[in-house]
Amino acid sequence: MKRIMIDASKCDGCKNCALACMDSHRRDGKEGVETLDFNSPMTVARNEIVCGVNGGYLPMFCRHCTEPACANSCMSGALQKDEETGHVKYDEAKCGSCFMCVMNCPYGIPKISEDRTKIIKCDFCNDRPEGPACVLACPKQAIYVEEV
Amino acid sequence: MEYYVIIGCGAAGMAAAERLRRLKPDASIVMVSKDEHSHSRCMLHKYLGGERDVEGLAFTDEDFFEKNHIYWSRGQAVKRVDTAAKKVILEDGELVYDKLLIASGAVYSVPPIPNFRTADNVYGFRDLSDAVKIRKAVEEKNAKHVFIVGSGLVGLDVAYALLEQGVKVTIAEMADRILPLQTDATSAGAYQELFEKAGASFRLGIGASDSKVNDKNEITHVILANGEEIPCDFVVAAAGVRPCIDFLKDSGLEMERSLKVNEYLRTSDPDVYAAGDVTGLSGIWPNAMDQGRKAAMNMAGMPVAYTDSFCIKNTINFFGLAMLSAGDIEPKDDSCQVYTKESRSEYKKAIVKDGIVTGIQLQGDISGSGFWQHLIKNKIDISGLLKEKNIFHISYADFYGLDSTGEYIYSGQC
Repeated sequence: MKRIMIDASKCDGCKNCALACMDSHRRDGKEGVETLDFNSPMTVARNEIVCGVNGGYLPMFCRHCTEPACANSCMSGALQKDEETGHVKYDEAKCGSCFMCVMNCPYGIPKISEDRTKIIKCDFCNDRPEGPACVLACPKQAIYVEEV
Repeated sequence: MEYYVIIGCGAAGMAAAERLRRLKPDASIVMVSKDEHSHSRCMLHKYLGGERDVEGLAFTDEDFFEKNHIYWSRGQAVKRVDTAAKKVILEDGELVYDKLLIASGAVYSVPPIPNFRTADNVYGFRDLSDAVKIRKAVEEKNAKHVFIVGSGLVGLDVAYALLEQGVKVTIAEMADRILPLQTDATSAGAYQELFEKAGASFRLGIGASDSKVNDKNEITHVILANGEEIPCDFVVAAAGVRPCIDFLKDSGLEMERSLKVNEYLRTSDPDVYAAGDVTGLSGIWPNAMDQGRKAAMNMAGMPVAYTDSFCIKNTINFFGLAMLSAGDIEPKDDSCQVYTKESRSEYKKAIVKDGIVTGIQLQGDISGSGFWQHLIKNKIDISGLLKEKNIFHISYADFYGLDSTGEYIYSGQC
């Protein structure tokens, strides 16, 4: 499967990845990070860059784990590991909003939507051919796609 | 050809079937279930509330059985298991097995209150069939008022669904607060307020002691220990479940209150395994699935131990107020430190003993909180971190690490 690999030492915390993620998942029909509405609760990145204790930045990106604790705890079948791509897909319509996935991901990746009815999680930009938006937006190659 | 039989199509049974098929592409796998539909019990309230239909309760793909080449005998009760002949005896026929998985789940118990076990209008809330009965009772009898015994997650799920349909509910709880397994007084209070605003009425710290029945053998009033009479159209018993093992009484399998398994989820018979609620190991969905998968691996000859004994954890979401609760609710002794944080929109409480987190409650925003379970379960010492930062600022970032395949791991503090 393809995974977004992380070289935290290269990350300089510019958060272009977060903007690209918001832009690629927006539902207001617009395009381009300069038109993002940051007042909207819908403008949420599926990734995050957090500060490390000893300086430096720690990129938090869904790993689409080999044994995904989120999908393994899903009681509605909304989260499932796609056998072909290996990516953990989320079907919003099926989601029962129980948030078991939030409790069970030991890395704290799935977020809860503002209205507390859905979760927000990396979809690998639906495996589009050019690759995930965050990776394309990273100027430092701190994140890159690799077959694992 | 190897013959595998799985009893039950809940979380444990389905997870086991999927894993077994992946490990044994050519084996015969037969599932048998009392349920007509494989459904997620945790979503039954969505059916009861009219939010979803039966199909919407499925937690696997529609073509699960065809895709995995599994023969499913649905709506079939298992009469008994003959471990000597390696046969599962059904109402009309039998299934032979080389390896058997028992994932029969649990059944609800009705408290021993006069008339509760004999009246025609006392329902449980465990299977789709229970939800169907309650829905029918609401619609056909035009129910206005329902009495619910127990304010755990099941009782409140029923209450929520009924309130949505304009039915008045009264809920009796023996403990001094609602959701007593997951909350303390503060977090319980927040939910109680939301339920009361929606029209629910609670009787806390008190149980039902008697009831009145009409000539149709229906309970019309429940009488509480203090003498209060509460009128009702029907009663829902949500006061706990017990492992479904009655059909195993002649099987020779070792059991007490639940079916006994070793760490490989094997029963006292080397060819019979068990997973999920029937084992009494854990009552929650993720653990049932994990047990199902691990039992399947052991059955397929890939020994893997089930070691996750930590099961006091849950998430709650009522009226958009989300909560995570894991481990202790209150400190066990004076040597524990209790940290709390309260604001208009959230409540947080952590209990730490000798640098080890033993309990966490987060109400409000619970995003990113999955690491707490890992800290509690693995008894990770956070005393170093506590010197540097507020406990509620700790996150997975404090344990950040990556392995060679790019998966996250827990490393030392960074």
